[in-house]
Amino acid sequence: MRDHIASKDFREGFVEMLPACIGLLPFGLVCGVGAAAAGANWLAALGMSAIIFSGAAQILAAQLVAADAPFAVIVLTCFVLGLRFLMYSAAMAPYLRPLPDGMQKVLAFLLTDQAFAAAVRRFNASDDHHGAGLHFLGCGAALYLVWQVSCMVGFLAGNLIPSAWSLEFAVPLCFIALLAPLFRDAPSVVAAVTAGIAVLAMSHLPMRLNLIVAGVLGIVAGTLADLARERWKAR
Amino acid sequence: MEGALKLWAVIVAVGALNYLSRLSFIALFARRTMPPLLARALRYVPAAMLTALILPMVVDFKGAAADFATPRVAAALIAAAVAFATRSTLKTLGAGMAALWLLEWAYA
Repeated sequence: MRDHIASKDFREGFVEMLPACIGLLPFGLVCGVGAAAAGANWLAALGMSAIIFSGAAQILAAQLVAADAPFAVIVLTCFVLGLRFLMYSAAMAPYLRPLPDGMQKVLAFLLTDQAFAAAVRRFNASDDHHGAGLHFLGCGAALYLVWQVSCMVGFLAGNLIPSAWSLEFAVPLCFIALLAPLFRDAPSVVAAVTAGIAVLAMSHLPMRLNLIVAGVLGIVAGTLADLARERWKAR
Repeated sequence: MEGALKLWAVIVAVGALNYLSRLSFIALFARRTMPPLLARALRYVPAAMLTALILPMVVDFKGAAADFATPRVAAALIAAAVAFATRSTLKTLGAGMAALWLLEWAYA
């Protein structure tokens, strides 16, 4: 393990992720604030960021716990949100196959939206799979450390931030930063518009069920639009 | 379920499912390729779920009707334009928060 951390590739990955980490700071702060609002003590707040390690899932879980939604609804909604990891996992699998088993399992844990993008770039750019794996480990380690610290700071200091600053607005903004670039792709626009109309039209549903129903409808609409586009192109 | 216990149950269950999803094609189904229809559908999880998450945080509800003429909606649209053009989280955050503060100050 020590050799891993001392390697040049690990350090490069760690340093390369630091600018992205700065962008995550407000998101982490808000996740910590959310954990506090859900009634977590410091250990549970740390558990959320250290075990779940996904800002969107942490925010959603915290909101649903605070709204007293049933356990099964919370877990199911977060599961649908986490389905995108299946896609990342399938995309990463061929790159990770030459690496040792334990390394694959650690890297899978560190697979996040940000680390995925950086890791794919590196694996494509270099033939050295082991080096690229260490680079990925460095990216993941930087994100993991900064994430724990920012969530903890948010949990401890959240109520010191004046509410007039509207810090909670940083949450949708972080999601918008991930969402808006997808709009270059027509079926993604169909998926987003469908999910958007559905989530507002069904906002009267209890337990935030509108979220999961709208998500599934959006995924189906996007898939159908994609299939239709393919058929159209084939003609 | 009692509060603290339920929170820990959620943390463990969501954490485990997230890890299994991340591990899926790396280890669990390493010998299989993803069914093409599933691969196609998964491409639209981010667009659909992110939109479903964002809108309730941005749009206010007055009784049964959604209110779109608010500083939050305008600031979110400005942030979306910046995100579309720059793909930068920091610039999106900066533009969105600045727009919200300005609009709320002008609105008041």
